Amino acid sequence: MSRPGFVLEVDDRTPPLLVHEGLGFRLEEFPLGTRVIYPPEPIASIADVDGAIRDALLDPVDSEPLPALLFPGMRLTIAFDDISLPLPTMRAPDLRGRIIEQVLTLAAEKGVDDVELIAANALHRRMSAAEIKHIVGERVFRSFWPQGALYNHDAEDRDNLEHLGLTEKGEDVEINKRAATSDLLVYVNINLVAMDGGHKSVGIGLASYKSLKHHHNAKTMVNSRSFMDHKHSEMHSSAWRMGRLIKKHVKVFQIETTVDNNIFPKPYDFLMKREWEWSIKDQASALAMRRGLAIAPQKLRHKMFHDLRSVYGLTGINAGEVEAVHERTIRKVHEQQRVKIEGQSDVVVMGVPYLGPYNVNSTMNPILAACMGLGYYFNSYLGQPVVRQGGVAILYHPLDEGFNTLTHPSYVDFYEEVLAESTDPAVVGEKFEQQFATDPWYVHLYRTSHAYHGVHPFYMWYWIAHALDHLGDVIWVGGDRRAAARMGFRSASTLHDALEMASSTVGGSPSITYLHNPPHLLADVR
Amino acid sequence: MSFWRDTVADVRQVKRGWRWGHRAQVPRSAEEFVPPASSSIYPNDWSRTPWAAAAREVAQKVGLEPVFRSQVRTQVSGLSVLDGLTGPVIFVANHASHLDTPLVLLSLPDEWRRRTAVAAAADYFFDTWWRAVGSSLLFNTLPIDRRGGTLSATPGEVLGDGWSLLIFPEGTRSTDGYLGSFRMGAAYLAVEHGVPVVPIVHRGTFAAMPRGVSWPSRGRRQLTIRFGEPLVPGEGESARELAPRIKQAVARLLDEEETDWYASLRRSAAGQTPDPAGPDIAQWRRIWTSSQSPAVGPDRPRAWGR
Repeated sequence: MSRPGFVLEVDDRTPPLLVHEGLGFRLEEFPLGTRVIYPPEPIASIADVDGAIRDALLDPVDSEPLPALLFPGMRLTIAFDDISLPLPTMRAPDLRGRIIEQVLTLAAEKGVDDVELIAANALHRRMSAAEIKHIVGERVFRSFWPQGALYNHDAEDRDNLEHLGLTEKGEDVEINKRAATSDLLVYVNINLVAMDGGHKSVGIGLASYKSLKHHHNAKTMVNSRSFMDHKHSEMHSSAWRMGRLIKKHVKVFQIETTVDNNIFPKPYDFLMKREWEWSIKDQASALAMRRGLAIAPQKLRHKMFHDLRSVYGLTGINAGEVEAVHERTIRKVHEQQRVKIEGQSDVVVMGVPYLGPYNVNSTMNPILAACMGLGYYFNSYLGQPVVRQGGVAILYHPLDEGFNTLTHPSYVDFYEEVLAESTDPAVVGEKFEQQFATDPWYVHLYRTSHAYHGVHPFYMWYWIAHALDHLGDVIWVGGDRRAAARMGFRSASTLHDALEMASSTVGGSPSITYLHNPPHLLADVR
Repeated sequence: MSFWRDTVADVRQVKRGWRWGHRAQVPRSAEEFVPPASSSIYPNDWSRTPWAAAAREVAQKVGLEPVFRSQVRTQVSGLSVLDGLTGPVIFVANHASHLDTPLVLLSLPDEWRRRTAVAAAADYFFDTWWRAVGSSLLFNTLPIDRRGGTLSATPGEVLGDGWSLLIFPEGTRSTDGYLGSFRMGAAYLAVEHGVPVVPIVHRGTFAAMPRGVSWPSRGRRQLTIRFGEPLVPGEGESARELAPRIKQAVARLLDEEETDWYASLRRSAAGQTPDPAGPDIAQWRRIWTSSQSPAVGPDRPRAWGR
């Protein structure tokens, strides 16, 4: 039986609480009275996954069954979420592969020959063959990869982009040509958090920079309150307008899945348990892991965490019309992640873990760490932020992983040149975005190597625009001082030092809320 | 050096945070989310075999009693009530501390002590094998399911085998030293098996070693224990009728502790026995009063005062 998420109030009986910090964690003793938000435990999952997939395809929402949409001679395109989902990576077989196999089985029965599969990576890095194979499975990979019919979306391939027109607000809608000109576009998603899915899948995942810049900018991001609530998010409103325009040009059959939050397999399962329920074995594991990490070289620590594969349970699958499907998906996501909280606090504490959507098999550089804390975690709310306007965010991360020049080359220049000039999202966007977005070297690396697009670090910085606008101060516990200062933040050695530093902003006895994630939680703040 | 220093600091933090050597605690705000205890209860029928009884005799006489006497002082009254009894009986006592069980057992005459088993919460004393073995061997405990509200079949069998039972009808230790509500188990067993109930009250254990403390406080605190007249279930008397009589007997004994035997009898006859649940005052005042050890006179006349 899954227990709901709840708000713990730290008292004299509370043991030290686990806080993630990059490639490690610490056990923190929070001040008495601190609120700690725990996500719900993994909800019930579906035992017969293949049966559930078949049912969803044959009995979709507001759509004809998939077999009725398939016919000989048609152009069928299957797009799917890239490696940024789920987090951590799913242990094989990946859900997307299992769904795609069933879609292809139906297509083969209907005699469909013209099939292509596209990873909807937008401006994310191209995935390697091994990464794609992990997602789609060996059978699909063997059938399509050698023929060039399974590939990454290329947002810079002008010949293979289709401009579908402008929305009522004048936004360009430009997506992958193959997808736009198909008789049927099947999209297979994994809806890890509430901001994923819906019209964001095709409208963003298969789009070009020309289209993305309309909602990926500082102004839109500041007015997305929050990203996890698509009805109150400017970014999603824009994506929804685009999605409705896309619908007029191409038939989209959306398949959305939700998974439980069973993210840490054994022997790391203690990382998900409530600390006061830790057995002797859990305590020993925590101690052993902490001491082991203390002497392990960075490379080994990185391998230890990044080799971790999660055994998710499928909690829901819906297929059919995009918006109708997404409503059902969101309900399931809320069931797994939503926690009701009464009122805001002066300080919010967040532990930034080793992994975010943009450093799978790569490094969590300082910009990505900021994006994870102040972008994802800060914005993971419904209603209002966990911390009050003018409050303080205290984050844990060493900010010392450096930059991976294979995957994040433009981040290096963004960090060294752009942030040295300004940390204001609006200013850096205005002044530098175009230059990075059109730089031929970055475009070349994006198209031919495994690099994030040149403009991507700007998007990360826009992600945190709402937090920067809302917060009075940001302090990193255990963070590299120079890295924190470069991003316009401060660092402290301990939580108590951080609270001391925060006292000039929020006073000497602030109310504190610690968001105990991962696993991911969605704070429903009343 | 730094690595070892940090290792020591980590171990200390975990030791302190998870209360090594003590029972784990749940933060108050998380109590409602604690999952039900596992139903695995370790059987302990072996603990009433002759070999286990012999081992227990050694453990109690050589280990428990000297330690107990070195930490607290006791004054026992009313043991003469046992003279006319042959056993088995059900001893019923108020419950304020883990000292209660050794106090009662070590106050009993040896022949009674050797044939007395202690009803103990299965979810507390029988959740791990080592706790089950330890408590069985030292105190002759037997598991009672207190969550379900009914006693398992085991206590009846134990009574049937001629063992006396010590039951704390409150089901848990008092949080402020005063008497809580009584459960029906003792009365039910007494009626079912036709055995007398011997009420017992004791004072001072809350002051000496309340909840959350694992060793008696320093200074050899005074404990008192008083045995009351046995209550024999009447012909056709139900457990529901016997239960209030038991509670009244305990309340009168508590009154006797405060006053004297005759005064408590008169007040009982007049229906004026003080409520054993204590006065309706602030919690801290209740704890404050209970944390005073009882004052007693010398056990026997002394030639010279100390």
